[in-house]
Amino acid sequence: MSLARRFPTRGSSRLPELLVPALLGGLVLVYFAIPFVAFLARTGAVDVVGELSTPEARVAIRNSLLTAPVSTAISTVLGVPLAYVLARRSFVGKRLVEALVILPLIVPPVVGGAMLLTAVGRFTPIGAAAAAVGIPLTDSLLGVILAQTFVAAPFVIITARAGFGAVDERLEQASRSLGYGPLSTFWNVSLPLARGAIVAGIVLTFARAIGEFGATMMVAYNPRTMPTRIWVEFIAGGIDAIVPLALALLGITLAVLAAVQRFGRVPTVIDR
Amino acid sequence: MILELESLTHRYGDELAVDDVSFGLEEGELVALLGPSGCGKTTIVQAIAGHVRPTAGRIRLRDRDVTEEPPEARRVGVVFQESTLYPHMTVGENVAYGLASGDIGAREREKLVTEYLELVALRDQRDAYPAELSGGQQRRVELARALAPQPDVLLLDEPLSALDRTLRERLREEIARIQDETGVTTLFVTHDQEEAMALADRLVVMDEGRLSGNATPRVLYESPPTPFVASFLGRSNALPATVVAREPPTVAVGDRELELQSSVRSPPTGASVTCHVRPADLSISPPEAAGASGTRLSIPGEVVTVADVGRRYDVTVRTETGDELVVELTDDPPTAGERVAVELPRDRIAVFDADENERQRLVAANETRG
Repeated sequence: MSLARRFPTRGSSRLPELLVPALLGGLVLVYFAIPFVAFLARTGAVDVVGELSTPEARVAIRNSLLTAPVSTAISTVLGVPLAYVLARRSFVGKRLVEALVILPLIVPPVVGGAMLLTAVGRFTPIGAAAAAVGIPLTDSLLGVILAQTFVAAPFVIITARAGFGAVDERLEQASRSLGYGPLSTFWNVSLPLARGAIVAGIVLTFARAIGEFGATMMVAYNPRTMPTRIWVEFIAGGIDAIVPLALALLGITLAVLAAVQRFGRVPTVIDR
Repeated sequence: MILELESLTHRYGDELAVDDVSFGLEEGELVALLGPSGCGKTTIVQAIAGHVRPTAGRIRLRDRDVTEEPPEARRVGVVFQESTLYPHMTVGENVAYGLASGDIGAREREKLVTEYLELVALRDQRDAYPAELSGGQQRRVELARALAPQPDVLLLDEPLSALDRTLRERLREEIARIQDETGVTTLFVTHDQEEAMALADRLVVMDEGRLSGNATPRVLYESPPTPFVASFLGRSNALPATVVAREPPTVAVGDRELELQSSVRSPPTGASVTCHVRPADLSISPPEAAGASGTRLSIPGEVVTVADVGRRYDVTVRTETGDELVVELTDDPPTAGERVAVELPRDRIAVFDADENERQRLVAANETRG
């Protein structure tokens, strides 16, 4: 008996290879899209511009636009060098460092905020000392920045690390042999070649920082940022009350994403 | 001496990658560092370039000890197996990169870029990006970039291994020409013995982290200093034997004795040795001729296989002593199963101590030629 008979040819019943994964993926996309569309459908009934002009809304927008870029800048300036070290060297305790980087991601933000309070709260040595010299670390814009940085910094570290990891170390070695020290090599070679990933990480960090609510609420419920203001309005007025600020928040994030993609030439955020 | 390695040793953790290696490069020399993959070649290159700090030993460039100096202070040009051209810079910017680190003025820099792009015949591609070039063109740009700062030593680490055969041979000639024109002292690292022998003035052969030979290709081929060199450079038959007399040195293969040429250093009587002889140096005669004659030793045996490889026949003979010998014949091959006698030329046999740890050559083959 020949094998051909035991494995009957299916001939015309052949399906496109990607049909099943595409169907499953489509379900997720629909699930993403429906709430988005439903929420946007509410906008017609609300005076968006009017609501955003209220003093409370304007303060919240101003506070968010002040804090999120600063948090993103801090995360980037401190996180990218860390990402580079993690991509290039193995050392004793590296696993521990890596776990520490991921920790803020797996801790619920509201718990992260509570942890920050136990470290820099008003009644801790650090918090008390800072407050004594007039720099309160809680219920201040600085507190907002602390909370946002804690929650958002891992994104740029992890993404940049993957970006540096994709740069062949021999490109750096060639630069050294061509007469450049480690710092100029980093600046001339590693940084430009990992730029796409770093920019993607910055965008993710910014989006996370400006939308941060859980940790911010614990550390600095006041002064209000856009997310904390949204919460307050939701408690008082329900869904329709938060539509204007939510749209503004979305608009800012999309604008930043678009600008960065335009000037940073990032293919897609998850490309790497 | 432009480059000098002195007792270079390197360990990765417990693993000994380079074991007490010393050799040097004279001004303008093209030396091939040859060995199978994993023999420590790349570690040596990395140590010379300064990307690896050796566990022990010194590295001198122009009589200056650079062992502790960073790569950027060494004036060593490097070309790796895979392209390291900067994808975000044009060809011209890549070549200018190594010049911009020094104190060369912008005008002079432009002139040098043009000069070195002309050297590799890629002047037209100055404004192209590396991704737009073919594999061979990328190699040439890398050569231009490495050469433009006029390094003391050029290290080529398997520069042709990622290319297909035709391109490899063409670029090999190109490298020989460029080296000849610039006169740059070059260390060419390769695992390909044909490439090494075609290109280099001198070969440094490595085996498992140790130096196994250091001489011109012909000397290494005709009188290999170690069994490894004998078998790695071209093909070699290994024949176990026993020393039966010292004056004159005589070895026994099975029950046949062979009187060798006078030796530099004679092994003690009774020592086990291995005789290495090239397939091309063996010949085949009718079986009745077997027996030690004036200049030759012949061992009777039976032909096992005859392979026609185009320009010659590879005849495998199983001898009475149980060894298999490959004989290269240009014409008139025997047939499988035929009884023959293999003729060993007395002056073409290299004898080594059979003990792996004592790999010094014991009896010189054709010492007069060396």
